[in-house]
Amino acid sequence: MGLNSLFDEYYEKSFIQGGTTCCPGCGGPLLWRIILEILGSKTIIYGDGPCAMCAVRNIKLPNFNLHFSFIADTATGVVAALAAKGREDITVVSSGGDGATADISLGKVSAAAERNENMIQICVDNEAYMNTGIQKSGLTPYGAWTTTTPLGKEAPKKDVPMIIAQHNVPYVTTASVAYPKDLQAKIRKAKGTEGFKYIHVVIPCPTGWRFNPAKSVEVVRLGVQAWAWPLYEIEEGFLRLTLKPRQRPVEDYLKAQNRFRHLTDEQIQYIQGEVDRKRERLLEFDGKRIIL
Amino acid sequence: MLFTRMMEGNEAAAWGARLSRAEVIPVYPITPQTEVISHIANFIAREEMKAQYIKVEGEHTAMAAAVGASTAGARVFTASASQGIVFMEEALWMPPGRRLPIVMCMVNRSLAPLGGLRPDHNDSLLQRDNGWIQLYCENSQEVLDTIIMAYRIGEDRNVYLPVAPCYDGYFVSATATPTTVPDQAEVDDFLPPYKHEMYNLMPEEYEPIPFYRPIAESRYEVQQAHERAKRVIEEVDKEYERRFGRSHDGLLEEYACDDVDAVLLTMGSMTGTVRDVVDEMQAEGKRIGLLKLRAFRPFPTEELQKLAEGYHAIGVVDRNTSYGSAGGGIVSMEVARALYLLEEKPLLVNFHVGLGGSDVTMRQVRYMAGKTLEAVEKGRVDSMVDWVELKDLGEVM
Amino acid sequence: MSQIVRSFRPVVDLGKCIKCGLCQTFCPEGTVMLKGGEEVVFDYRFCKGCGVCANECPSDAISMVREA
Ligand code: SF4
Ligand code: SF4
Ligand code: SF4
Repeated sequence: MGLNSLFDEYYEKSFIQGGTTCCPGCGGPLLWRIILEILGSKTIIYGDGPCAMCAVRNIKLPNFNLHFSFIADTATGVVAALAAKGREDITVVSSGGDGATADISLGKVSAAAERNENMIQICVDNEAYMNTGIQKSGLTPYGAWTTTTPLGKEAPKKDVPMIIAQHNVPYVTTASVAYPKDLQAKIRKAKGTEGFKYIHVVIPCPTGWRFNPAKSVEVVRLGVQAWAWPLYEIEEGFLRLTLKPRQRPVEDYLKAQNRFRHLTDEQIQYIQGEVDRKRERLLEFDGKRIIL
Repeated sequence: MLFTRMMEGNEAAAWGARLSRAEVIPVYPITPQTEVISHIANFIAREEMKAQYIKVEGEHTAMAAAVGASTAGARVFTASASQGIVFMEEALWMPPGRRLPIVMCMVNRSLAPLGGLRPDHNDSLLQRDNGWIQLYCENSQEVLDTIIMAYRIGEDRNVYLPVAPCYDGYFVSATATPTTVPDQAEVDDFLPPYKHEMYNLMPEEYEPIPFYRPIAESRYEVQQAHERAKRVIEEVDKEYERRFGRSHDGLLEEYACDDVDAVLLTMGSMTGTVRDVVDEMQAEGKRIGLLKLRAFRPFPTEELQKLAEGYHAIGVVDRNTSYGSAGGGIVSMEVARALYLLEEKPLLVNFHVGLGGSDVTMRQVRYMAGKTLEAVEKGRVDSMVDWVELKDLGEVM
Repeated sequence: MSQIVRSFRPVVDLGKCIKCGLCQTFCPEGTVMLKGGEEVVFDYRFCKGCGVCANECPSDAISMVREA
C-alpha cells in the first residue's frame, strides 16, 4: 500500500482528518485523536472549541459546530431525540472550550448536570479565548498574560470540575493530553457510565501560551508534574487521584511559557503556595467522599 | 372528531402538540404561555402523550435543545412569549439556516420596559428577518388547527422551515372559545411521521454538511423556501378543510369585501372585533371590509397586490411600534413595499392601537374604519400614522 | 486538500529509533506512524513541522530539517 493511502486509511479509522486548520503543535486535534479511538463510530459530537473548533470540524463523525453560547443545550436535544428513537447505543459528546464552559455557557452546563443528561461533557481547556485572539476567560490562571490582561490576570482560575462535582453527577474527572492512557481510561469509564459525565482536559496552545510548538506536550506534562494540573476523578462523590507525581517546582512550568514571563518572584511564590495548598487538600481527600 | 367544548388558546395549543405527536418538547415557563406547557406535562403524566419533556433552565436553552433534537430527527414542539422569545433570539436563527421544521408557539406579549402581561406584536415581529414562518391566529380553534398544519408545512420537502403559530396572550391564550378537537387517527392520517430528507445525524447514515459554503447561497435557499411555502400553506389549508371541515384561509383572509371602497387590515385577536364592526357598518351602508393577514412570513405580496387593486384605501392596524421607522408600524411598512409596484395603488392609512395589550375597542375600530373611508373621500391621507389610543374618541366621533 | 506551509520537516534516523511509537502517540496531526511496528513514516502532505515528534522521541531519532 502506498504511503498516502496508508495514512488516508489511518485518518478514516481514527475519525479525524490529518492536517487540521489548527496551529502547529495545537493540543486540540491531539485530544480528539486520543479520545475518538475510545469513543468509536457510534458517537455524535456537538460543541465548540477551543478554537480547536477547527479540530471538531475535521472529525469524521456526526458533529455540529456551535457558538460558545450553545454548550450542553443542543446536545441535550440530541440526547432527548435519541431517547425518543430508542438509540441509546449512541454516545453523545458535548464539547466546549474553556470560555464557553466556564463563562458564557456555565449555566447551561450546570443545568445539564442538574438534569443528569446522558452525555459526556468535555471542557477543552486552553485557558483563554484563543479563537478570538487570546482573551482572558474564567479559566485563565492567575498571572497569565492575555490580550485583555496585559499585566497578567488578577483573579485565580475557576474550579469548574469541583463546581460540577457538587451537582452530584456520576462522574467528574480532570485529564491531560500529555497522559493519553490515563485520558483514554477516563473516556472509557465515562462512555460506560449512565448520566452526566464531565471531563476537564488541558490542551496546550503554543500560540496563546507563547512557547515553541515542539514543546507542546512537554509543557502540559510539566503542568501535571508541578501539580498545577492535578489529575483526579470523582466517581459517585468519591475523589481519587489518578496520578501522584513527584512534585516539581511550579516555576519550571511557568518559565516554560512566555505568557508568565513578567511574573515577579513574589507572584511565583504566591502561585507555588496556592498549588501546595491544593495539593495537600487533594491528598487529604484522596479516596474520600467530597460531596456533601 | 373527539369532542367540542370551550377551550382556552393555551389548552388548544397543548392539544395541537399532542395530536401532532411531538416527540421532544424543551420548554421554559413564561406568562402567558405557561398553561401550554403545564397541559402538556399533564398529558404526559397521564400517559396520554409520549414525548421527551425537557424542563430547561431558560429560553435560550429551550431553542438550542429544540435545534439539537430536530437535527437528530425528532419532531419538536416548544412555546414561548415576550422576553423569552427575545432571549432565545440567537438560537432562533439556527433552524431556518439548518432547515429544521421546529414548531414553536409565540404567545404574544409586550416587551420591557413598560410592557405588561398583555399582548402586542413586537416580540414576534422582531423575529421577522430570521427565517421563521409566522402564522397569526385569532382564536383557540385556529391555534389548534394551525399547529397541526404547521408541521405539515414545515416538514414539506419543498419548505423545511420552522413555523411559529402566533397568538395574542390573554385575549387568545386565556380566553375560552368553542374548539373542536379532531380524532388522533384522522390527524395521523393527515400528518405522517417526520423524516428529514436533507440530512440524517445517525452515524450510519451521516453525511457531513460542507463547512465552507457561500453564505449568500444558503440565504437564497431559505428565501426560495419561503417563496415555495406560500403555495404549500394554501394547499395544506385546503387539504385540512377537506379532511376536517375547517379552513383558515391560508395566507390571507378577505372578510365581507364584496363591493367595498376600503378595508382594515388586521392580525391576531383584534380581528374578531373588527369582523363585528364591519358587519355593523355595512348594515349602515358603509363600504368597509376586512383583510386578515394570517401569514406575516412568508409575506403574501402577490396575493395582497391582487386584492389591493379592488380597494381605494387600506387601513393597516399595527399592534406594534417601530421607533424612528420610515413611517408607522411594521405591518404597514411591509404592505407599503408590497404595493409599491402597483400602478393603481390604494391609499395607505396606518394606525397604532392595542399597544401593551390594551383593548382594541369597537369604538376604536369604528374610528379607524371611518378614517380609512375618509381618506377615500378626500383622496389623501392626513398623517403617516395615527396613534389611536392617544385620542379622546368621545370628542373625535 | 489544504496546502501546508512548513519551515521544517521531521526526518527519522531509523538506526537510532527504538520503535516505541511515542511520536505517533503525540503527533497532533496524526501525520507520523510507526508502520508495522518497524518503520517510522511521515505524511508530508499534512505534517505541519511542529516538532512535537522530535521533542517527544526518547532516543533523539527524529531531527527537524529546514525545508528548501
Ligand atoms: S490558537 Fe491555540 S488552541 Fe487555537 S488552534 Fe492555535 S494552538 Fe490551537
Ligand atoms: S512535525 Fe509535528 S505534525 Fe509533523 S509529524 Fe512531527 S509531530 Fe506530526
Ligand atoms: S518516538 Fe523516536 S524512537 Fe519512538 S518510534 Fe518514534 S522515532 Fe522511533
